[in-house]
Amino acid sequence: MASAGSGDEKAAAAAMITLISSDNEKFEVTEATATLSQTIRHMIEDGCTDGGVPLPNVTSKILARVIEYCKKHATAAAGEEGSSSSFSDAAFLEVDRAFLEELEEFDDAFLEVDRATLFDLILAANYLDIKGLLNLTCQKVADSVKGKTPEQIREMYNIVNDLTPEEEAEIRRETQWAFE
Amino acid sequence: MAAPPPALMEELVEESLLRLPPDDPASLVRASLVCKDWRRILTGPGFRRRFRERHRTPPMLGFLRLRGSDRACCFTATSSFRPRNADLLHGRYALDSRHGRVLLTTMSMRQEPLESSLAIWDPITGDHMRLPQLPPRPQRRISCHAAVLCASSPSGACNHLDCHRGPFLVVLMSTSRDEVFVDVYSSEAGAWSQPTFAGQHPLDGPVWIVGVELGAFAGNALHFMVLMDSGMGILKYNLNTREINQVNLPPNCRCSVELTTTEHGGLELASMEDSRLHLWSMEDGPDGHLGWAQTRVIELKNMLPANTRLFSVDCFVHSLAVVFTRTSEGLFSIDLNSAQVRKAYEGRSFVNVVPFMSFYTPELGATSAGEGSSAGA
Repeated sequence: MASAGSGDEKAAAAAMITLISSDNEKFEVTEATATLSQTIRHMIEDGCTDGGVPLPNVTSKILARVIEYCKKHATAAAGEEGSSSSFSDAAFLEVDRAFLEELEEFDDAFLEVDRATLFDLILAANYLDIKGLLNLTCQKVADSVKGKTPEQIREMYNIVNDLTPEEEAEIRRETQWAFE
Repeated sequence: MAAPPPALMEELVEESLLRLPPDDPASLVRASLVCKDWRRILTGPGFRRRFRERHRTPPMLGFLRLRGSDRACCFTATSSFRPRNADLLHGRYALDSRHGRVLLTTMSMRQEPLESSLAIWDPITGDHMRLPQLPPRPQRRISCHAAVLCASSPSGACNHLDCHRGPFLVVLMSTSRDEVFVDVYSSEAGAWSQPTFAGQHPLDGPVWIVGVELGAFAGNALHFMVLMDSGMGILKYNLNTREINQVNLPPNCRCSVELTTTEHGGLELASMEDSRLHLWSMEDGPDGHLGWAQTRVIELKNMLPANTRLFSVDCFVHSLAVVFTRTSEGLFSIDLNSAQVRKAYEGRSFVNVVPFMSFYTPELGATSAGEGSSAGA
């Protein structure tokens, strides 16, 4: 897509930030990508990014995924801004819709991960304060819980049932309709 | 060997569970049975508050309807929720529901007049109480209708997201041969107020309050549909000034009218003409006087299955943009924003539709909260 390409060129000229994972791998990203994280945005504002930003809570495997997410969403945001002046309203809306659809497809594919990775992504989104990613991943957990029995949820997330049989029986009795 | 998934911090489990849909209470209940931690999160006051604040608009968990054929009142679920103590509905029907409470009255009006058999029911907790009897009046009531409100509705101090256990008011508007008057029950006082009379009979000739149309609370006033010699109209009782006034209907609005309240607390009206739904809202005119302004006209015919004849609009819920319509094929609910149509009830013979809208979050020891614990009388 032409507008996405020009976004990349613009980005290349922009300032680069180095992120360092817990296992000491270095990732070069644009400021636009990095500042989707409020945590990193604050560090940039405070001028504490020289020599790279150490992220001791995020492994290289997870950081690569997080950067992939931020790149896509930063590009989409830039694309929307850049295209607004060159199209009529109707055409702009069309482009807007196409962007959103593409972004949704990206998000769906992005979430095709195992439970462990999903949890790691939630922890990273929380630590880096990336609202969109936190929302996306937490919604995925909620969707996976919806319509499941307590047993299925426990199995899915490897949770040990520590409720006493009496407690469990009482809850089931009081809210029988939820188990029909 | 695959490593077990890492444990999520409690706040992130909560962050995820907050995103469960409010119109599926069963998922919340089942999640509360996963383990002690999840149970503590889901039943905690913080989750309770944040879940409501996040989703803002209480979902419709079901609706109450009175079947015309055998005069039986039923709770029809539109979600996974099922009410507690629904056997209370035997011999009763719903007059109103607001903020998680349902106002019931008796069916056998010959033996027991409507106004002397009012009861409040909380379908979530199952709590219920009968309101005390009203003192007898010299003139017999020929018609009446009532509504239940959160006690802080007139002051606007409550966001009504979770006030179903708090104090409440019941506003009963009645007409006799020559009078229009209002009685107000306060759960805090545990008693009915002295009646307020319309300064003069606001209308010529007898007035009949239409019992099957829900009252609407807007601008600190309750509005009920009435039938007079001259046709349909609205009677309004202002809770602050304690005045009873007449409000005219919009022009050319003769039948099938439903009142509702907008998110800004204004009065809105839906009327059906042929197969078109006309929405009107009460707004300030250029001269500073309140008047009706038409906000939307929606053609319903194409949304319904082919060969469906529309009879009337039976209930209009502004907050959900949902309208219930009575048709030759049964009762349909139509989402006016998404144009999604659902058959809500197969039968054609029913009298009124009262939607039950409330948030539901799991609670610790719901039964130990006790039946009738909110009974002030």
